[in-house]
Amino acid sequence: MNASITRLSWINVAKDLRLEWRSRDVFNSMMFFALVVVVVFSFAFERDDSRPVMGGLIWVAFLFSTTMALNQSWARELRNGVLDAYRVSPAPAEALFLGKVLGNFILILLLECLMAPLFVIFYNLSSVGPLWQLGVIALLGTWALVVNGTFFAAMSIRTRNRELMLPLLLLPISIPAVLTMVTATTQVLTGEGAPAVQMKFLAGYCVVFTTACFLLFETVLNAE
Amino acid sequence: MKTKLFFVFAAFCCAFLAYGTYQALVVAPTEETMGDVQRIFYVHVPAATVGFTLFFVNFIASLAYLWKRSPKADALAAASAEVGVVFCSVVLITGPIWARYAWGVWWSPWDMRLNTTLMLWLLYVSYLILRKSSTGSSTSVLASALAVFAFLDVPIVYMANRWFRTHHPAPMIGTPNLDHRMQNILFINMLAFLVFGSLIAWFRYELERTTQKINAAHVRRAATGGAAMLALPAMFLATPNHVNPTAYLWGGYLAAWGIYVGYLLFLMSKLAKLKKETAEL
Repeated sequence: MNASITRLSWINVAKDLRLEWRSRDVFNSMMFFALVVVVVFSFAFERDDSRPVMGGLIWVAFLFSTTMALNQSWARELRNGVLDAYRVSPAPAEALFLGKVLGNFILILLLECLMAPLFVIFYNLSSVGPLWQLGVIALLGTWALVVNGTFFAAMSIRTRNRELMLPLLLLPISIPAVLTMVTATTQVLTGEGAPAVQMKFLAGYCVVFTTACFLLFETVLNAE
Repeated sequence: MKTKLFFVFAAFCCAFLAYGTYQALVVAPTEETMGDVQRIFYVHVPAATVGFTLFFVNFIASLAYLWKRSPKADALAAASAEVGVVFCSVVLITGPIWARYAWGVWWSPWDMRLNTTLMLWLLYVSYLILRKSSTGSSTSVLASALAVFAFLDVPIVYMANRWFRTHHPAPMIGTPNLDHRMQNILFINMLAFLVFGSLIAWFRYELERTTQKINAAHVRRAATGGAAMLALPAMFLATPNHVNPTAYLWGGYLAAWGIYVGYLLFLMSKLAKLKKETAEL
């Protein structure tokens, strides 16, 4: 009975990934949506020098797909009454939250890895700055989106207009992070300036909001 | 007793505001480069002060609610967020009117200070939307949790000026760059608007308490109302060089007071509805 938080979280992650692997309903629709966004953008923008706008395009595509995925991740639990089961179980709520965040994080990272080549193909994109910086920005930025997104998805399924509520809550909170991700990505792609300040800012943002999510998740889970 | 105190406070507030506005429009020296348009300063900065103060009150009240679960703290949080959004709207409307004359553009999209203020406004609007669309007793808990998140962004707003490039002037209060007469008049106006802000917030708080009591008597949703709409004059089309700065000054003042009066009228209609509902009980 003395399962640690890490073990409980891992059980949650494994369960989520297994469910996703068997049904693939979230991943397929998310992937298709992101693909459509890339194609539509490639029609809408000039391809001659796309580097200055690419940072914005990439993150808008990821942001929208993330929002889609996150809504589904809690909707499934609500349908099957998992949230009620969790409320009465002695397992700490933080374990459930950490499991959800990690599961979503893995899913979104996978999506990003699959989408990156598409951006390269459609926009004939290559980076002027060092590539590893893009990797760091992607990790930090995805974590910032996923940790807040998972929290606000849990909050928005408690409201009357469930799926509609998530972007309304998540986007304003994420604006500082999104602005920094976009400027940092653009700086690396165009090779104009080093995004060190932005990376530090993103790291700080991740620490602050991850802490806040963990402190408040139990309150939101039990709000009735 | 409470009502009497409220009206005494309101009368004092009106007199103070009139005095502050007179000082700002007549007594204050005209700024050398910007001319009369700089007088928007005396509504723009106080509105920002009041708005940020109210967001801080909202944060404290939300923490208090999470800790004590008292409906009074929740009412205070709801009232301060809504009135804070009104004052923040005034900042966001008077700012561009001033900027159009001083910088030649309405809005500078890569200016962090402007973006972060707009972001704060969006955050608290999303807070109000959450309050409207969540159901039953979960509203207060969810809203308080969101308020904590929203307030975590406020330090970012304050630091944005130092971290990133900005057009927006750094705070000048207490520095030799600000004429001391201007500074005194700014302080008078800040105080006057703080009194005004707390008056409206108090009014809104009492409305929220009444709503809570009515809801406790019979569960029924309070009426919703539309936000005050505002039309700006036709100076959108004019180029700043050919326009008298006074026109922008009046634009700024009219917009600010249009919002304040519109919001007060909205609160009045809400009060009338609540009175009717109480009478039916």
